[in-house]
Amino acid sequence: MTEPVVESPPGEAPARSKRRRKHVLGFLAIAGPGIIAAGAGNDAGGVTTYASAGAEFRYRTLFFMVIVTVAYVVVQEMVARLAAHTGKGLAALIREEFSLRWTTFAMTAFAVANVGLVVTEFAGIGAAFQLFSVSPYVSVPIAAVAIWALVAFGSYRYAERVFLVLMLVFLTYPVAMLLGHPRWGQVSSSLVVPHFLGTKAFVLLGVALIGTTITPYIQLYEAGAVVDRGIGPEEYRYARIDAIVGALAAAFVSICIIIATGSVIGGTGPLSSARQAALALRPLAGHAAEALFGLGLLGASALAAAIVPLSTSYALAEAVGVERSVSKRFREAPLFIGLFTAQLLIGALVVLVPGNLIKLIINTQVLEGLITPITLAFILVLANRSALLGKAVNGLVARVLGAVSVVGVGAFSLLLVGLTVAGWFGFH
Amino acid sequence: MTRSAPASPAPVLSRRRQRTQRILATRAVAESIVSLAGLLRQPVRNQAGAEIGDLVDVVARWADGQTYPPVTGLLVRVGRRMAFVDAGAIDTIEHRQVTLRTAKLDLRDFSRRPGEVTLARDVLDHQLVDVDGVQVIRAADLYLAEVLGRIRLVGVDVSIQSLLRRLGPARRRSRPTPERVIDWAAIAPFGDIGSGPPEVRLRSAHGGLHRLRPGELADLLEDLQRPAREALLDALDPEEAADAIEEMDADEVRNLLRDVDPVRAASLVARMEPDEAVDALRDLSHDEREDLLEQMPVERSRELATLLGYREDRAGGIMTTALVVVGREDTVGSVLARLAELTDHRHDIDAVAVVDEEGRLVKDLPILDVAVAGAGVRVGRLGDDGDPVTISPDADLSEVAERFVEARRLSMVVVDEDRRPLGRILADDVVDALLPAKGRLHLPRWMQ
Repeated sequence: MTEPVVESPPGEAPARSKRRRKHVLGFLAIAGPGIIAAGAGNDAGGVTTYASAGAEFRYRTLFFMVIVTVAYVVVQEMVARLAAHTGKGLAALIREEFSLRWTTFAMTAFAVANVGLVVTEFAGIGAAFQLFSVSPYVSVPIAAVAIWALVAFGSYRYAERVFLVLMLVFLTYPVAMLLGHPRWGQVSSSLVVPHFLGTKAFVLLGVALIGTTITPYIQLYEAGAVVDRGIGPEEYRYARIDAIVGALAAAFVSICIIIATGSVIGGTGPLSSARQAALALRPLAGHAAEALFGLGLLGASALAAAIVPLSTSYALAEAVGVERSVSKRFREAPLFIGLFTAQLLIGALVVLVPGNLIKLIINTQVLEGLITPITLAFILVLANRSALLGKAVNGLVARVLGAVSVVGVGAFSLLLVGLTVAGWFGFH
Repeated sequence: MTRSAPASPAPVLSRRRQRTQRILATRAVAESIVSLAGLLRQPVRNQAGAEIGDLVDVVARWADGQTYPPVTGLLVRVGRRMAFVDAGAIDTIEHRQVTLRTAKLDLRDFSRRPGEVTLARDVLDHQLVDVDGVQVIRAADLYLAEVLGRIRLVGVDVSIQSLLRRLGPARRRSRPTPERVIDWAAIAPFGDIGSGPPEVRLRSAHGGLHRLRPGELADLLEDLQRPAREALLDALDPEEAADAIEEMDADEVRNLLRDVDPVRAASLVARMEPDEAVDALRDLSHDEREDLLEQMPVERSRELATLLGYREDRAGGIMTTALVVVGREDTVGSVLARLAELTDHRHDIDAVAVVDEEGRLVKDLPILDVAVAGAGVRVGRLGDDGDPVTISPDADLSEVAERFVEARRLSMVVVDEDRRPLGRILADDVVDALLPAKGRLHLPRWMQ
């Protein structure tokens, strides 16, 4: 028995209007991937790096953040478009469109960046517990085992909700910023006029800001979420709004964190403890600031500490071509659970190496920033391919913006590498 | 027992055995296979042995129903130009070189003819369906061999070793590692012929797909990416597709219904069992749901709308309306004849509801009782005389579960206040409804 599949005649008005109505409401149903991805962007690494930017350079990094935001919006839009028009995740697209060697290179870049992110998250957990006077040598191993067990034995879904609620703490930053009485004149001039410093410290923090804002992981996540929600070319317009709004919202919170921290402890040098970062919430929460900040940091870190290794494992499985085995039951996928366990283990062990946790977080964000141009280049090449996207391929504006973003981000990374190498030979 | 039984190895093995004429199983072919990944970028030589260019891609045709698609030509880079060499001009294909019959090369630009695909660009590294193993695979390497006088695509390699080999030096790349090769006869290649013309996808639909059970098809539908999934739906008939969708994970069903054209989505939902259709519709937004109901036959949409009116966590929300209602005076013969027409609903019917003249339930008769009785007997006389086990549509799930425990039956009838039958609840629907609470972990796909 065959059912004739009749396309509704394109010219007819009633069918049209119905479709549109469906889409408008469809937007509500699909609103999310970009906004959630953006929320996830303000993880332990993000909050720490933005707070450090405020502490060390007060408002000087704001203009730089505006530029980074533009690049971030451009990238998120391209990723959402790729996912909506092909129905495939980023890892699958790279495997299909690039040679196996390039695929290996890209996947290695993603994997290293994501393991770096796991380190960040465990450092965030350790730093959060330090605020409550618990040593990281106690909290981190317990957290690693707990997260592993939550995911492996299936109660993670419930824990996730708790972590998400805790993360809402960071939404108090805009209020804290207002209550902290920033010097608005300085803030606004810093937002529109560059106040760059030619020092290595500034470049280092700039790369960290890039790395924590345009994290390679967020691109994997955005693509996966768009595909998973069944968003196709028809609904793409709404996915695009979602991606752009999400990116702007994330950037807004980031900028608030920089301003709030800058107003309270700006100019005191690089951030060195979570206690210091929590001072930014003082104008709002008074003596409860540390507890509030600690809970937010814990929620954000614990959430990402589970999701980042899971999605890395998925992306690798997808690139290898064994995605079937992971979309089934967790415990039936040895490769998958092996990768997941290994990442948690590495993340927790690196954090247990004695040292300053906040510095470790900033350094891993620098690592992300060094890898970002690599993954961006892959995305740009994909979005420029008309054989893949047809009419949805990058237009001239997107090509130029994309290329400028990749080159700019890449140049900044190279500048940092250059300065570092020059430093080894005694040039400053 | 078949509803959600996972693919056990036994049927897979037996299916593998069904195919005795496997090309790769013959030793001569196994020894002469050439790795496509190893062959790419290797020299193409003329008769005299002079190098004329590098191999860029191999073109094969699989639209004409042959099990092993014949190679129809090569794409060769000559200088800076891309040239198409017809298969007729090929003398030999070896591990690390191709030799042509002619000294002179007729350079033609390549334009894809109907049914042709470029193996390196469109198939290698893309998703395919292994019909025998019931799995979605990604081709790590493709193997060519001379069979029946032509060079053909004979197998797919899915091993990680092959991926590693391709990363290694060129010398090792060309050596086949046929540890985990799947014979091309088992492959449904509609997978993902990205830019290929649509007729390639349709005509290449694999006959073996129709032997798969709904649960197996559901696994495939879940694992394929969107373009390939639509091609698979094209290859199935709507009844098969609807059965498969019933077995899919709820989130995946929602995505699938959003992905496909609304007319097709409506036709698929209309063909699902009523209770499953209602579950699927509940997961959509209000407007999407109304859209689909509008596209269905009126009778069907009215039935589904009634079911949607019940709360999901109540008996009415999980019951199916696929219910056989017969009169007390009907004969066993006539009831059996009616059942014979309902074999499509075999999983949802395990008993018949017997009603009196006013339509009130008097008996819930297991099919076995009907089947073993004489054809002339009236159904009113069969079974025991106790009150049938029933439940009200507003009963909550724990009540339903308790009633099942007491009654020890596989299904029970849902009745209204006047004891008129409304639908039937199957024990497995209760199991489905209770299971998520126990923390069944499916890794959602957004964790990519």
